[in-house]
Amino acid sequence: MNVLVILAVVAALIGLRFVKPGMLVWLAAWWVGCYVALRYGFSTPVPVSVIKLYMGIVTLSLTAYALADSERWAQVRDPLTAFMTERRYQAWLVVVALLIPALFAVRIYAQMTSDPQAPSFARTVHPAPPDSITVHDTEYPLGTQDNPYRHLENDDPEAFAGRVVNGRQIYYENCFYCHGDLMAGDGMFIHGLNPIPTSFQDPGTIPMLREAFLFWRIAKGAPGLPEEGGPWQSAMPAWEQFLTEEEMWNVILFLYEFTDSKPRAVEELH
Amino acid sequence: MKRKPPLILVGVLLFLAVIAAVRVAMYVNSKASYTAPIAATGEERTPRDQAIEDAAVAAQEKALERVYEEEEYRAFPRVGSRVAIWVVAQLHLLFAAFVLAVPMFAVIIEFIGYKTGDKRYDALAYEFTKLLSVSFSLTATFGAALTFMLIALYPKFTNYMMHVFSPTFLPYVLLFFFEAGFLYSYYYGWGKFGPKMHLFLGVMLNLVGTAIMFIANAWLTFMTTPSGISEHGALISTWEAVSNYTWMPINIHRIIANIAFGGSIAAAYAAYQFLKARTPEEKAHYDWMGYIGNFVAIVGLLPLPFAGYYLASEIYAFSQTMGLTMMGGAFSWLFIIQAVLIGNLFLFANWYLWLGMGRVQGAERYRSYIKYLLIIITLCFAVWATPRSIISTIEEIQSMGGSSHPALGYMGVMSAKNTAVNILILTTYVSFLLYRRSSKVPTVSWAKLGNAIQFAIFAAAASIVLFLGVYGYFVEATVRIKLSIPQVGSVLLAIILVTIIDVLLLRNAKSTTTEWGTINPVSQYLLIALAVTFTWTMGLMGYVRSGLRLHWHVYGVIRDTSPDAFTPTLGFATQVVSVTVLLFFALIGFVFWLAGLAGKKPTIEEAKTTPEAVVAS
Amino acid sequence: MSRIPIPIQLVLLTVALTGVYTMVGQSVPQKEVHPPEVIDIASNISTDDMVEIGKDIFEGKGICTTCHTIGRSGALRFPDLDGIATRAATRIPGYSAVDYLAESLYEPDIYVVEGFNPGMPQINKPPIGLNDDEIMCVIAYLETLGGMATVTMDTPLVYTGSSSSGSEPARGEAP
Repeated sequence: MNVLVILAVVAALIGLRFVKPGMLVWLAAWWVGCYVALRYGFSTPVPVSVIKLYMGIVTLSLTAYALADSERWAQVRDPLTAFMTERRYQAWLVVVALLIPALFAVRIYAQMTSDPQAPSFARTVHPAPPDSITVHDTEYPLGTQDNPYRHLENDDPEAFAGRVVNGRQIYYENCFYCHGDLMAGDGMFIHGLNPIPTSFQDPGTIPMLREAFLFWRIAKGAPGLPEEGGPWQSAMPAWEQFLTEEEMWNVILFLYEFTDSKPRAVEELH
Repeated sequence: MKRKPPLILVGVLLFLAVIAAVRVAMYVNSKASYTAPIAATGEERTPRDQAIEDAAVAAQEKALERVYEEEEYRAFPRVGSRVAIWVVAQLHLLFAAFVLAVPMFAVIIEFIGYKTGDKRYDALAYEFTKLLSVSFSLTATFGAALTFMLIALYPKFTNYMMHVFSPTFLPYVLLFFFEAGFLYSYYYGWGKFGPKMHLFLGVMLNLVGTAIMFIANAWLTFMTTPSGISEHGALISTWEAVSNYTWMPINIHRIIANIAFGGSIAAAYAAYQFLKARTPEEKAHYDWMGYIGNFVAIVGLLPLPFAGYYLASEIYAFSQTMGLTMMGGAFSWLFIIQAVLIGNLFLFANWYLWLGMGRVQGAERYRSYIKYLLIIITLCFAVWATPRSIISTIEEIQSMGGSSHPALGYMGVMSAKNTAVNILILTTYVSFLLYRRSSKVPTVSWAKLGNAIQFAIFAAAASIVLFLGVYGYFVEATVRIKLSIPQVGSVLLAIILVTIIDVLLLRNAKSTTTEWGTINPVSQYLLIALAVTFTWTMGLMGYVRSGLRLHWHVYGVIRDTSPDAFTPTLGFATQVVSVTVLLFFALIGFVFWLAGLAGKKPTIEEAKTTPEAVVAS
Repeated sequence: MSRIPIPIQLVLLTVALTGVYTMVGQSVPQKEVHPPEVIDIASNISTDDMVEIGKDIFEGKGICTTCHTIGRSGALRFPDLDGIATRAATRIPGYSAVDYLAESLYEPDIYVVEGFNPGMPQINKPPIGLNDDEIMCVIAYLETLGGMATVTMDTPLVYTGSSSSGSEPARGEAP
């Protein structure tokens, strides 16, 4: 909800009370007020089709209001009749008569010149991984698989550091073109990509995922995505064709190390 | 001022005529068969002539050898079998609904006339009945057309229905015979029999008519929710086939809907006569008749959503799949169209009541409530018409993060819609109550207390409905579905209680004058609009009831293998419905015209005095 | 207004109102629903082909999407099927994911997921009436939702009421 807009509409309608305008102005004010509230009053914009539906109902209701009482109807009708029949408004009448088709023309022009739109596809960014994957003839059960070198962090910090260095080398040889120097998903190639690569600096990405998930995504790339992930949209290569498993696990270690984050722990499935 | 010819109208008509003429000319041209250039009149036979002759001989020989084969389907020219059956069945139903409904309220009105001794009621009942006889023959004609077309176009399916329902055909024909007897003796015997005898005829007419409808309902509900047959379609019990899942719900739904529809058509007749009327007496009479017709229509409209829920819940009980095809699958958008129609019905009905206050002296004190009622109706209408999954462009979907809006998504679900329609019903009832009040001032000593109690009941019912509506968001599906029952229950209870209090409250009330015939003419156009909307809604809902079977003649038993087995788009369906509605109104216009030709009973001038409200008096 | 004869006014009103309703009918999404087509399933097709066919049946002929969603949460009326392959294996003790899926399709009322109402029709009976081969393909597709398809056309299905082994699971014995 955009409270400010709603308040402004209410304030304008209250303010109008002091001016004491005619019925016609009131109806117009309500109509415009409803439109503004619908169009700008929501923080997530309301789709045009629904606005049309609602405004249709509002129009009908305002008509009902104007016509439900003979006196009120007279207040609406008389200014309109005067506008259409009296000589002093003639110039304005001509303007209005020309304006109506002109507005239609503008509308049609805008519709015809707007860019064509592709059919929509709601893509799941982190789809559910399969139970297991096979990389270079080894089967990895993704539900229980952990980074085989993660334990070195405590057991053998030196070897761990070496693996991180190896991971860094691999990252800057292969990944940074798209995922960026600082892993912000802003590499030099991204101008050609839609959707853009994941930013690992985003706390909603790798800290929320398990290392096995990253391993799956790196090894299988876009072609390995399930349908709901939109495999044809992502440009991620299947790295199993270029890297060994060890290299992929190393680069995963580097990703967490560089972004100073921890992978999501294995949880009990219930 | 001298009456000028309606120049704009003439201009528009001429313009349309020119367009139509061009289109017809182009169409005729495009359909003309190819004619070869005229050849020289040579005598010699070409090899081609010989070949044509040979082919004709061969075809003739082949025709002689052909064996008889049972046909499954035959095609109706141009529009196809389905659309042909669709239109004829719908027209049959519309006239049948009218013919069944009018006697119901005609007899009730006649009875009121008999009890109160007020001749105007008798005259009104007669005027309603006058519309019947032509409609009755049209119903029968369309019924016969439907039967013949079913036999001709869908022989195999019709044969199967005979297999299941043959024992019901003879009673149906017999009852139809009795219906004709009672109808014509009721109509022509007006004023010639004793009042009790005549009322008896009317009651019998209703009983027989209802029985006929029950039998026909058995056939069509069997097609949707078959029972009483084996898994392979063989008949086990005709009675079970008759009393299938949706039979009783459809019976109830149709009786109520028929009353609403019949009332609205009768009101449209009155509106037409009102607009044509020249004298104040005539205007007063037809204003009153329109009021009564519309009153009947609203009485039918209020319980209709509940009857609809009952029907829908039985469909769910028969098959969840079918229920979801209806509400969530192919037909979900149909219910958005329906919401627009029903919303219009409620709005028009309320609007008519508000306009009606214009003819009552002393109604001014209630005028100021109208805008609040209108706001409530508008909000409920909007909620009810909100779709669950919204038509949107890519950018809109991206900003919403899916096809449902974060805020509006809450309005598209059943909890919100049930709440909206219940509040709509309550509001319409309040409008009616205000109208009723505007012509009466209570004199009983406890008037203030009574008002307070009535208000408290409304407030209680509204809060129960709202509370349950909100509560529905926090519970599981199993619980949520059952919440609609207490919602409906509290609304019905509130209406009944308030009505009882109101009757007691307005006993010996001071009446103010109601000047019949002085109503704003806009109201009469509203009555026509109501009738059109009712008819259109019937057409649309008839389509979904029948279309639910998808590619089955008898759901799950007899498959539709014809070229028309697919379910058309809603756009196409609404076009067929519109054509049917226009045909119906062309025919009903003819009926009205004939009814206008028939002599009028000379009791019109008595309508000048104030009529009591028909109900609760 | 009064200059136009009443009958013409009423005709115009009726036609206009009917026109408006027709327009409303044209403005909603237009979709034709065609009767299911016969799909030829050879007995020796690969699992990948089965997934492909199963997906078509899932979305079309089997009308599964009328009730079931994939990847939705919130107030659902029927279970969401995202990641069903993982959950299927844990539903009934002694049943593998394939067995559970088979039972859910052939005998849906035996195990109803908590919080939902029974209401799914037997998929092998009319009105949906898929045959055994088609159901096998649907199972293959369902396995890909959160897992990998393992079934072939010859995989025996074990569930309550299956003719091969009755109530005693033959293949589903816990390891």
